Amino acid sequence: MIDNDVKVIIAKVFSIPESEVNDESGPENIENWDSFNGLILVDELENHFKIKFTISEITDVKNVADIKRHLKNHDVS
Amino acid sequence: MEKSLSEYIGLSKNIDNSNYSKKLKVALLSSFTLNGLNEILHVKCSDMGVRYQSYISGYNQYNQELLNPESDYYKFCPDITFLILDIRNFLGDNFHNFHILSDDAKKEFAKEKINHLENIIQNFEKNSNSKLVITNFNIPSYSPNGIIESKIKFGLHEMIEKINNSLRDISKTHNSIYVYDFNQFVSKHGEKNIFDYRQFHLGDIQITFNFMPYFGYELMSYIKSITGTNRKCIVLDLDNTLWGGVVGEDGFDGIELGQTANGKAFVDFQKELLSLWQQGIILAINSKNNFDDAMKVIHEHPEMILREKNFASIQINWNDKAQNLLQISDEINIGLNSIVFFDDDKLNQTRIKQEFPEVLTIELPEDPSEFSPLLKELNDFNVLQRTDEDTKRGQMYTEQRKRKELEKSVSNLDDFLKELDIKVKMKKSNEFLIPRISQLTLKTNQFNLTTRRYQEEEIKNFSSNTKFIVGCAQVLDKFGDNGITGVYIIKKNDKSWLIDTFLLSCRIMGRGVENAILSQILLDAQKNGIDEIQAEFIPTQKNQPAENFLSDFGFKKQDEMWIYKLNNEIKLPNHLKVEIE
Repeated sequence: MIDNDVKVIIAKVFSIPESEVNDESGPENIENWDSFNGLILVDELENHFKIKFTISEITDVKNVADIKRHLKNHDVS
Repeated sequence: MEKSLSEYIGLSKNIDNSNYSKKLKVALLSSFTLNGLNEILHVKCSDMGVRYQSYISGYNQYNQELLNPESDYYKFCPDITFLILDIRNFLGDNFHNFHILSDDAKKEFAKEKINHLENIIQNFEKNSNSKLVITNFNIPSYSPNGIIESKIKFGLHEMIEKINNSLRDISKTHNSIYVYDFNQFVSKHGEKNIFDYRQFHLGDIQITFNFMPYFGYELMSYIKSITGTNRKCIVLDLDNTLWGGVVGEDGFDGIELGQTANGKAFVDFQKELLSLWQQGIILAINSKNNFDDAMKVIHEHPEMILREKNFASIQINWNDKAQNLLQISDEINIGLNSIVFFDDDKLNQTRIKQEFPEVLTIELPEDPSEFSPLLKELNDFNVLQRTDEDTKRGQMYTEQRKRKELEKSVSNLDDFLKELDIKVKMKKSNEFLIPRISQLTLKTNQFNLTTRRYQEEEIKNFSSNTKFIVGCAQVLDKFGDNGITGVYIIKKNDKSWLIDTFLLSCRIMGRGVENAILSQILLDAQKNGIDEIQAEFIPTQKNQPAENFLSDFGFKKQDEMWIYKLNNEIKLPNHLKVEIE
């Protein structure tokens, strides 16, 4: 459930097909994933899951797996 | 409802605006991260059929860009520049330390900051002919002085207010400088919504993503005015739009207007409409009703704010609403793309949206208490400047409606013209008339021989040049004052005069005023010993109404020019009086 929602949001923010999103996706392999779009992603995730990340969580993210881990910390499942 | 920032960014990638006729070059200069604003403006401009090109300064590079005449920014030649500053960056360390400065140091600091802004603005004016919109500063809700902020001799808040006041003074005296009230924007949406410490610390973002689209909407007020995509007329339904209930069923005493909570909401909405009318927005009625029932409310209801005189066109009948809307557009001679349509009925909204997508059809909320705030939120009625003619416009259109009624009641045109009792006052250009003269050259399309567009500065130059005559005509009749509605510009040569510009506002076409003005020009030339008058007709898509004017008057075509020999008799229209001032 959250896996799919995260996939849909990431695909939308970085304008890529959902099939290209996996746990290893991150700034290193998605071209549009720059710092600004990264913040847009944070905003979209927060609005969607009704949570608020801390600054350390945001700066810590290296890939999609990290995002899912932090979401779990916010009791999103 | 606004789209989200990421939706705008997505949409902006797929815009093909290569075939739009209107173009706009926008520069965005800022002291903090404004990513996303460019995409928002791009999408919003495309929605209006405007081809958007932009220049974005590097992060916090606005000083260098504005102070260096050779900068890429000036080379871009924007039509409009938005300079968006934030108080933290602008005050630097003193944003936090202002309260520890001595009184003298505080004053000195404020002065230095104001000088800095003045310097930027002077440089802009020297190097650019375009418009500059500068944001004022948000007064933070917090003060290091706490509850004694107002007791301090020169507090942080007072200092920011002082800077804001200086900006306002500058915009009053500098035509091309506008101040956007960012402080009001923050108070409208709330400081806690606009400013998020997390986004600020992560990326120097000072307008949150959620509210950036609203900020873009605010800036569109300027863009709509500068591209002429603003609106001039509001067409209104009556039942459940101007009052609650249906007058045909509930009766004169049964409708809700004033008194009840709903009734007060309708009164409030009408008050807001009246205030727009007072600033030159035209109002019209498009309603399915028995004419007499509805007019009785408009004439006699004690709580009615808008009366018959506020409406330029009244279509109360059982015809199709789309047909009525066309009738209104025709009657007041205004394009459908200048109209905003208010009707509570969803079917009517859909009908007009489908039939006339260029009309701005409002989706009215169900609750009438939302009508007035919705109207206040619309940014479609802004103008970059307001002339006397603008503020009188509503009244002029009402007088126009009465003229049309007279025209219908008399049997022929001559009787109508005699009955009108027209007076034409010919005036030479002066500093008070220049803005209106320029405005008429910029927007008159139909009765315009050459369609040459002149900015105020150019009209000023012609007016002070002895080789030119710049004149205009004010037209009055028994129903009222039409204002300055005719303009001519003449280039004087030794033996002949050339008519560079000759135009007449569409609202006084067909009453012989054009002949009266031209006759006076000819008489004037004759008096000055001139042999002939030369004139041009440059055809455009819209100026057919002026096509036969010169030949009908007696001009003869020689090559590309129309010539009138002044040894011919000059005929004067006899149904109107001419005064020369």
